[in-house]
Amino acid sequence: MDYLDGVIVLLVVLGLVGIGIYAIMVSRNLIKIIIGMQVMVKGVLLAFVLAGRVSGNMGLGQSLALTVIVVDTIVAVVALALAVRVRRRFGTLDPRALTTLRR
Amino acid sequence: MDANMAVIGLLALPLVGAPLTYLADRLVLRRGGKPRLGQWITLVILLLSLYILAIFWRSETRREGVWLLVGSISLHWDGLSVLLAFTTLLLGSVVTLFSGTYLAGEKAHDKYFPLLLLMIGAIIGLGASNDLFNLWLWFELMAVSTYLLVAFYPQEKGSLEAGVKYLVQSAVGSVLILLAIALTYTFAGTLQLDGIRARFSDLSAPLWVAGCLFIIGFGVKAALVPLHTWLPDAHAQAPSGISAMLSGVVIEAGLVAMLRALTALGAAETHWGILLMGFGALNMLFGNLMALRQHQIKRLLAFSSVAQVGYMLAGIGVGLAYQQPIALAGGMFHLFTHALMKGLAFLAVGALLYALVISHHQHTPLTVEDVCGAAQRYPLASLTLAIALLGLGGLPPLAGFMSKWQILVGGFSAQTNASVALMIFAGLNSVLSLGYYAPIVNRLYRHQASEAVLKGNPLPLVMILPLLIVALGILVLGFVPSLMNPINDWAASSILGFGIR
Repeated sequence: MDYLDGVIVLLVVLGLVGIGIYAIMVSRNLIKIIIGMQVMVKGVLLAFVLAGRVSGNMGLGQSLALTVIVVDTIVAVVALALAVRVRRRFGTLDPRALTTLRR
Repeated sequence: MDANMAVIGLLALPLVGAPLTYLADRLVLRRGGKPRLGQWITLVILLLSLYILAIFWRSETRREGVWLLVGSISLHWDGLSVLLAFTTLLLGSVVTLFSGTYLAGEKAHDKYFPLLLLMIGAIIGLGASNDLFNLWLWFELMAVSTYLLVAFYPQEKGSLEAGVKYLVQSAVGSVLILLAIALTYTFAGTLQLDGIRARFSDLSAPLWVAGCLFIIGFGVKAALVPLHTWLPDAHAQAPSGISAMLSGVVIEAGLVAMLRALTALGAAETHWGILLMGFGALNMLFGNLMALRQHQIKRLLAFSSVAQVGYMLAGIGVGLAYQQPIALAGGMFHLFTHALMKGLAFLAVGALLYALVISHHQHTPLTVEDVCGAAQRYPLASLTLAIALLGLGGLPPLAGFMSKWQILVGGFSAQTNASVALMIFAGLNSVLSLGYYAPIVNRLYRHQASEAVLKGNPLPLVMILPLLIVALGILVLGFVPSLMNPINDWAASSILGFGIR
């Protein structure tokens, strides 16, 4: 793999993670926050594939990425289930409504 | 049974047991009975695991640690694993005994014990993994089971809010850990913890970035101060048994995971140690100051956990920075005694909460005013709560004094300005922390009984019994702290002498 290709993939990784963090910080909707978390994880998947490629063990990098996909799906399911509960109980998905505990 | 079989048994038992307990409770529920079977199966599994741990402890091959290869997954069972597993199993059994009655009225009762077992199994596995990616997998399994347990009351607004905050912060943290793992793998070409240490033998930019990402990522779970904001909500809103587990072992499991990752990047061990010392000071001061202004008891205890993690960080930081096994063993000892004391504090508060609030089918939080004069009607619960609080404050002759003392001794024997200053700071903070522990004890014993106490229901014996067991443990460790020395020293030496086969 070219050095340039690696740099491009690395930039995409950082970009995706950055977009995810930005989305989590500014979104005013729980679903969008969950999407932001997903975008971050997609960046990480790319990072694992890149890591496998650079260190010369393509198979291991890909299998790690696959495992991350599985675990990430579980987290997303739990997060969405919580979001459904929040919508039913609070009547809104706005995270700014979730401040009853602050003091 | 040899040592290898014992380790495999310890890893497998809780994970196999989790679905079994769920099935058992569902079957009983379908026949119209009360789901009590799950609790007893959980208790039997945990006690059996403790027995296996004892067998392992008495086997002759244990000293070198156990290296295992299950498929392509490599496991390393050393002192740190033993300490973490012992703490988790001990506290887990007590919590199991306590929780059956506490949750009897809840709808989701049948899901509690399987999730608890899953969490315990994940923590044991986390201590045993010798591979960065596996470490993350166990860590994530623990996280998912705790998400569900924190948001355990789906009808309560506070519970949902705490669950969402906890989930979002932890998930971001775990993404940062994954980035660090990918980075480490890119430059070290291996994921084995000892292999990474050998390959990353000089200070380089990737090592610094990976280490900082590990500290931030695992720091979310271990409640390092700027990253702790989920903790007071989650610990206060979870069912009391889970609060005890969260405070007693889950944040410590985050700490252990961080230690494993940082010792793998061992070339910068001194720097990581100094960084952890800094976080320790920050945690102590901030946790204590925030705890001083809380009115809800469970929230107060949650902030006190932030402060107590500071003591562990101080001990571990001095140990890593100046290669002081005493300080490191002190940090490990404090990990154990804190699990006992904070576990007992949350359980005793949970017992009072049950008697005063939950048995009236309500979910309002318990404030410090509510427990005024509780000693008159609930003498045993109040006594155990007082023992736990004074132990946390570091009064002799309780276990908390002994572990803090060992950290202080370790810090002073390092004989550097930074460590001595940190230890004086820790001592002063200990005094500051009495500023919120002592008033609660005062209220329990010397105030007129509050309205809530007068209207309270009696406590069943099955909730008192676990409190007494842990309180006895705290007293015994206060008088004979050397009981824990073999485990603590082994844990410390397996951190310092890491990766040496």
